[in-house]
Amino acid sequence: MKIVIAGAGEVGSHLAKLLSFENQDIVLVDKDASKLANIDANYNLMTYVGRPTSFQTLREAGVETCDLFIAVTPYETTNVVACSMAKQIGAGKTVARIDNYEFMNNENREYFRTIGVDSLIYPEFLAAQEIITALKRPWVRHWFELSNGEILLVGVKMRELSKLIGLQLKELAALQPTFHISAIKRRHNTIIPRGDDYIKLNDILYFTTTRNHVDDLLEICGKTNYDVNKVMIMGGSRIAIRTVDLADNDYKFKIIEQNLDMCQVLAEHCPDCDIVHADARDIDVLREEGLDECDAFIALTESSETNILACIMAKEFGVAKTIAEVENLQLISEAEGLNIGTTINKKLLASSTIFQLLLDADSSTSKCHSLTDAEVAELEARPGSKITRGAVKDLNLSREMTIAGLVRDGEGMLVTGNTVIQPGDHVVVFCLAGSLHKVEKLFY
Amino acid sequence: MYYNKRPQVNFTALARVVGVLLLIEALFMLIPLVTCIIYGENDYKAFAITIGITALTGALMRFSISPSNPEMGKREGFLLTALTWVVFSIFGMIPFLIGDPKMSISDAFFETMSGFTTTGASVMTSIGHFSKGIHIWRCLMQWIGGMGIILFTLAVIPMLNHSGGMQMFNAEVTGITRDKLRPRISQTAKGLWLIYVILTAVLCVLLWLGPMNLFESVCHAFSTMSTGGFSTQDASIGAWNSAYVKIVITAFMFLGGVNFALLFKASTGQIGELWKNEVFRTYVYIIGVMMILFAITIIANNQVHSWESLTIDPLFQIVSVLTSTGLIVGNFENWGGFVVALMFLLMFFGASAGSTSGGAKIDRMIFLVKNIRNEVYRCLHPNAICSVRVNGKVLPADVVNKVIAFLCIYVILVVIGGLILTAIGIPLVDAFFSAFSCIGNTGLGAGVTGYGGSYDIIPDVGKWVLSLLMLMGRLELFTVLLLFSRTFWKK
Repeated sequence: MKIVIAGAGEVGSHLAKLLSFENQDIVLVDKDASKLANIDANYNLMTYVGRPTSFQTLREAGVETCDLFIAVTPYETTNVVACSMAKQIGAGKTVARIDNYEFMNNENREYFRTIGVDSLIYPEFLAAQEIITALKRPWVRHWFELSNGEILLVGVKMRELSKLIGLQLKELAALQPTFHISAIKRRHNTIIPRGDDYIKLNDILYFTTTRNHVDDLLEICGKTNYDVNKVMIMGGSRIAIRTVDLADNDYKFKIIEQNLDMCQVLAEHCPDCDIVHADARDIDVLREEGLDECDAFIALTESSETNILACIMAKEFGVAKTIAEVENLQLISEAEGLNIGTTINKKLLASSTIFQLLLDADSSTSKCHSLTDAEVAELEARPGSKITRGAVKDLNLSREMTIAGLVRDGEGMLVTGNTVIQPGDHVVVFCLAGSLHKVEKLFY
Repeated sequence: MYYNKRPQVNFTALARVVGVLLLIEALFMLIPLVTCIIYGENDYKAFAITIGITALTGALMRFSISPSNPEMGKREGFLLTALTWVVFSIFGMIPFLIGDPKMSISDAFFETMSGFTTTGASVMTSIGHFSKGIHIWRCLMQWIGGMGIILFTLAVIPMLNHSGGMQMFNAEVTGITRDKLRPRISQTAKGLWLIYVILTAVLCVLLWLGPMNLFESVCHAFSTMSTGGFSTQDASIGAWNSAYVKIVITAFMFLGGVNFALLFKASTGQIGELWKNEVFRTYVYIIGVMMILFAITIIANNQVHSWESLTIDPLFQIVSVLTSTGLIVGNFENWGGFVVALMFLLMFFGASAGSTSGGAKIDRMIFLVKNIRNEVYRCLHPNAICSVRVNGKVLPADVVNKVIAFLCIYVILVVIGGLILTAIGIPLVDAFFSAFSCIGNTGLGAGVTGYGGSYDIIPDVGKWVLSLLMLMGRLELFTVLLLFSRTFWKK
């Protein structure tokens, strides 16, 4: 697939590298040559220096024949205009990164479609959604619902209390569990486990399970659920505002922000929250503001390092759930190793959306979720596709993927080696980075 | 994946790739083998043995080595590119050792390296009596080396299609900035090779229509398109004494000296792009100016024998030297010393970057001249902001620096090479002419200055020095020089 990406900022460069790794044809456009130089020399893609809102630039970058145009410059107006222009000269699908909640409203979507913007990405909004999910279920690392929640993908870290530690997957399968272990994240690597792998302490296990059985996981992992009420947020970023907005007064928020002007803005936008003008790295401030009484601590400053350290500090105060915004991908694994409950990364959220678009080139049934080095996708099995030609264990599937579960006639079920996938089933696939395009072929 | 420990240089992963490349070389060697069999020549044994050795070594390296970490970084990219050329030469020289020519190792290595780097310098004093297999292998080596071994691999097998492949592409393709034709490196490689193959096929047909037979036209198509300059006759192109052959070969040598990315664009219907390109224009102007100078010299030396000797012959000679082909017209040595001096200049220039030619490349000359102009201007206007602008684009200062560093190193290497050659007893002018000719991949014999016919009279040490110069020239200095630096090997 031919993809043109406008804007070589953090999100744009990440998408370009990721999609190039997925064997797509990538052209990256930015007006700043210095941003492109390094990517051009080291990655298998083409770069073009020019303004994304110039017809000439777009033509020369090959937008006329591209299948997907992604505008992720820092300015939403540029993005929307670039998409509109790209569509005009023949781009297949267009995606713009936006920064305005209004745009996401369903009644406004039609307007964007008429001017040629097919999809919108709003990373801050997606981040807020993740935070709310994490607050609802503080015992999990990842919570991903597929097919309206019929199938759930749950990431849980193994602690001493877990009953699974030391078990071999083969032994576990003999017990006929109500879940399927799709992947294991061990230190910096994600592995798709086989029967002879063991579960170790500090692994993050990705379970696939159905709605009715999700509570079984609590017990088997040795976790307890608890309700979050008081939440402290460090850094009044756009994500913070979106989160408060989305939470709908379910939680009591206290936002600590260093910048006085920003505090004024927060006070205006979030009338029901306590806004504190202070440096959240100061222990005295945190104690004064009652950190030890909080159920959750969310660090959303611009600096990933500050966020990680602040979360560690909050843990020491006895806060049960911590969430850190970590924009540096390499730091995510480190943060997970340091017991930071959930990490938020705008790049991963943006790439989830893009992968979703790649998958449903001709349908809107697919869903996709990006992890640091793996993807979870929900795909519909087409009649006659390779995946339907026999029992799963006889298909010789690649070792880079596993079938986690499926939804048949609106009902979620787990998949074993003997399951035969039928056309029309929605299948949840867990695959390692760089293999999604191979997996996709199985379904068409 | 970012955290796995990797050795300083990942030799196992490297060896595996070299194995695959050797298998490809073995496939190419089938062509001379088949040629020998068709013409019923005895050299088929030499080629069969060589293919056996090459394929066996390649297969062993490919299938018995399993690297613990297949990742290849910058270091591996550079090392692999340089190593590939050396390894190809080592295996490619076997037919010269065991076949009819019965050369010594120094001679055979020099001849093979000269082939792959499209230099075209030969140690063979007489070639007419060798088998057709040997002839086609010499020309085929040039053809492979012209566009690049790595580039070929990138085009045909997907295994290098990752960031390691990017490094190798950068290390092998000539020029200052690499033009990617298409988003993926394999598509770019395919595009470039496609143009190359088509041009070669057209040239072959055109030559065949003339006085050459099929075999000769295939050989000459290979060595002309790659601007290499090997021939099947002792008298080279002069053997046919045909204006048609000279005109056709001149035209295709000229094309071989144009940036292939530009040819690719032109072939997609944007012919206008050619003349809009500053480098292409300069290339044509240089040929024009040289044509006038040559013509004056020829008249001054009373060498006008026919219309050809004032038109086709000097043009052929200019294009041949400028594009680093190194083919010679018959009466060229009578044109006088000034022509030899001009040839030094042409050899130094070379043709466009991104072409199959050698030399320092016209692109860099344009940079140099424009930068000098800026520096002079700045003497009077010290606060002026001057930029080097090529094709309407301003080039950043670090690119200009790199170009100037390149040119300095180029000259230094010629001087060092020349010094070594004089030290082992070669006359001054010939020593420098040979060094210049080898680093520029031109391959004009030292004979032009009246010293000797081919490179066979140069002592063995000199041949190895010149071989190294050829490799450095082909890979544009930095790739090879880097391997001799401490930073490359230091932890």
